[in-house]
Amino acid sequence: MTDPRIAIEVRRVTKRFGRRLVLDEIDLEVAAGESIVLTGSNGAGKTTLLRAMAALIRPNSGDILWFGEKTSGQHESRRLIGMVAHENRLYPHLTLRENLVFAARMCDVVHPQHCADSLLETVGLLAHGDRTPPVLSKGMRQRLSLARALIHDPPILLLDEPFEGLDADAEQWLSGLLQDLRQQGRTLCFVLHDEAKTRLLADRVLHLHQGRLLQVAGQAAVAHVA
Amino acid sequence: MVSKDLLSECRSLRVWPAMLLLGVVVAMMFAMQADLPPQQLRQIVGGLLWLTIFFAGTLALDRSFAAEREDGCWEGLLSYPVSPTCVYLAKLTVNVVALAALECVLIPLFAILTDLPLLAHPGPIIIVAILGNLGIAAVGTLLSAVASTGKQSSYLLPLLVLPMVIPLVLGAAEATRLAVEHDFGPSWWRWVELLGAFAIIFVTASIALFEFAVEE
Repeated sequence: MTDPRIAIEVRRVTKRFGRRLVLDEIDLEVAAGESIVLTGSNGAGKTTLLRAMAALIRPNSGDILWFGEKTSGQHESRRLIGMVAHENRLYPHLTLRENLVFAARMCDVVHPQHCADSLLETVGLLAHGDRTPPVLSKGMRQRLSLARALIHDPPILLLDEPFEGLDADAEQWLSGLLQDLRQQGRTLCFVLHDEAKTRLLADRVLHLHQGRLLQVAGQAAVAHVA
Repeated sequence: MVSKDLLSECRSLRVWPAMLLLGVVVAMMFAMQADLPPQQLRQIVGGLLWLTIFFAGTLALDRSFAAEREDGCWEGLLSYPVSPTCVYLAKLTVNVVALAALECVLIPLFAILTDLPLLAHPGPIIIVAILGNLGIAAVGTLLSAVASTGKQSSYLLPLLVLPMVIPLVLGAAEATRLAVEHDFGPSWWRWVELLGAFAIIFVTASIALFEFAVEE
């Protein structure tokens, strides 16, 4: 049986790259509207788990479900997911506006131009809409990546170290925006290393160690980390 | 996706100038070295033309997925709610356009350099060019996706593509030779049918295999 109140369900997922076991029978449920943070040392499998949750890699065994629907082979259901990855995934020869319009068209957004301008305004880049990504700062590119992930208004947002490389102002701005998204009821999954950000953004903290989910900490435990 | 790729290429000029330059240089070298009487030149001009198209075109084929990966956009492309078939067909269209541009330069250039009537009957030559182009682009697009997963894609792609398209290059070369000799009889049609069959098989098989080719 599936439960539509569960936004993401990971069922006994195992992933190997060659002979290396990266995810070892991971079981995880993320409720709709919940915000979870994945922590762990480098190579623990956090990014791989996030990419598996985004259906960007196929597990060797196990299933991933979004709102009760299996992800494998379901290209249409990718509308449910937005992802901010390590790399910006922006086309360097298209302007910021063109990057967003392209993403909007790929997601069948009804008014791509209007949607792109609206999101550029939301992330504070409307004045830079005709510039290209390489001339922007890391923080501005990260803002645009977030806008790209939000272009189709997905209920689930996956973010892989979204604060990496940002200065203090950009971090503060992004924290505010992510808290807003959390309050809007979106399901958020982060990979984070920063404890303060984890406290701020997590309902639950999951610790990965060598591909295994070792510790599941609730709100109380998050507060305890504080 | 097609307009995005063409717009990116127009602005960056990363591939087409190099492809066209290589094609022109190879064509000029072939023409200068092949100092043969017209009758013998007619026998080999099709092969020289299609080898030049293949080798120069490989540059465009190679970049179709490598550029996405270098810019970190490949996973972004896969994360959109579109089927891999759509991604493949878009990339195939861009490669067909690139090879068509190359052919638009090389066929007249070969006609000028060899002084052979390559364009005396443009219709048959255009049919051969379209079918040959489609076959090479179909295989090249699929194998470019496979090769781009490795770090040596530029070296790997010609090695992967050439064995697959040898029958197609031979067919296109023979059909071109017969067109130069104004022989549009049954043998010309047999080569054209072969090219058409290869194009259909390669496009169909590539669509079926693309999802597995790009999977990690």
